[in-house]
Amino acid sequence: MGNKDDTGYKTLKGSKNFRQRLLLATLTSTPIIIEDIRTDETWPGLRNYEISLLRLFESVCDDFKVKINETGTKLKYKPGTIMGGRQHHPHDCHVSRSIGYYLEPLIVLCLFAKEPLTVRLKGITNDSKDPSVDTIKSAAFPILKRFGVDSEALGLKIESRGLPPNGGGEIVLSLPVVQTLTAVNWIDEGFVKKIRGVTFSTKVSSQFENSMIRAARGIINPLVSDVHIFTDHRSGPPAGNSPGYGISLVAETTSGCYISVDTAASHARDEDSAGLADDVKKDLMPPEDIGEGMAKVLLGEIAQSGVVDSTYQGLLFLLCALCPQDVSKVRVGKLSRHGIETLRSIKDFLDLKFVIKPDPDTQSVILKCIGCGMKNLSRKVS
Amino acid sequence: SKWKESLADRSLARKPPSLMQLVYGDNSTSMNKGNDSSEDEENEGDFFMPKELIKQNIRDGLDDRMVDAEDCSKCAQLMSQKWDEKDNEEIRNRFVSGNLAKAALRNAL
Repeated sequence: MGNKDDTGYKTLKGSKNFRQRLLLATLTSTPIIIEDIRTDETWPGLRNYEISLLRLFESVCDDFKVKINETGTKLKYKPGTIMGGRQHHPHDCHVSRSIGYYLEPLIVLCLFAKEPLTVRLKGITNDSKDPSVDTIKSAAFPILKRFGVDSEALGLKIESRGLPPNGGGEIVLSLPVVQTLTAVNWIDEGFVKKIRGVTFSTKVSSQFENSMIRAARGIINPLVSDVHIFTDHRSGPPAGNSPGYGISLVAETTSGCYISVDTAASHARDEDSAGLADDVKKDLMPPEDIGEGMAKVLLGEIAQSGVVDSTYQGLLFLLCALCPQDVSKVRVGKLSRHGIETLRSIKDFLDLKFVIKPDPDTQSVILKCIGCGMKNLSRKVS
Repeated sequence: SKWKESLADRSLARKPPSLMQLVYGDNSTSMNKGNDSSEDEENEGDFFMPKELIKQNIRDGLDDRMVDAEDCSKCAQLMSQKWDEKDNEEIRNRFVSGNLAKAALRNAL
């Protein structure tokens, strides 16, 4: 994989890992060609959300060059300089994926920008497929902080919520820049001392939230007493365009690790239910089931005894790899598919392999690596 | 008993590939592919391979040919890691309310 041709372009195949490839290509200024994007599928080529992600990257970068062939199955990308800065126009994140999809690469990319980023993103704030804006704030930001990112300057404000299928949510993200990250030795996952969470409901009765909280507490309370789950009922414009409800839970440990889960119940997007008749609308999952289900998923994540949950493994590995040339050591639970794909992309772009060893006493995995020595070259010296 | 010995030997010989090999796909992984090489040889004769079969192969493992896998970090969360009531005692030690001494042992690495 990833051969460089005569023109200096690195050639990759398929749509997998699209975000990490784009991110790593930009950070390392490696021009890439991605071929055979969904060539065998009924709708070949790049999806709307991938185009939308490219546009988002374009808005925070200068000298950004991208060429896509007619069918969208081939992409040629030449990265420019990461500018960041205050974005005056809001970015419409295509509603086929939630804002979390776009945030995951963006919060790493713009750490290495010229100026601190402030951007307004519109779209879906919560769904069942991507991490919600709530857990990005409560679980991903603490991970960034571990690597030496100034937590005071990290901000995410949820101005309105948006659920599938029509979205209508709006957030404001502010992100500082770094000179370099700091390597971590992070293998103590600690003990869970408290659980925090938030439920939300848009365009439906706030009673749904109480049901979710009661069900979740039924599972969690026997194990830990310090539990606070906040409610966030929205109506009118801050509720976005679609009805629904959901919950996110975060367990905080004695060593400052944050283990998160989240989900949302809402009506399906058009493309998901393309086979069904238009008028058929399935009932939403009952709030009791969601509350109980998410509490159990949270316990499942806690049981894995990693320092991050399975969703943020990829982010953790990326940050380790982008550290200065120091040793980073981290503990995660069972390697997730996304985590493994991230490790492979890191090897492709940075030529950096992690040493991966299972911990015999627990079901966790310990990873070690020496950072690639990434420095923020575009940052203004003040 | 005697019949068990050969079983034990065989399971020892079939060492699972290390995590490094699983992630980075080492050359040495071909070793454990050797077991089912007979099937591979049969297929080699066929120039055309039914698409379903290729898909099946891909689903069996994290294969490099899975080039259009969905880029999603949360997807499988709900399904794969659900906690079971049976593990109640295990999980208790992951909380401050549990047996700290027991759990602290393993952090003394």
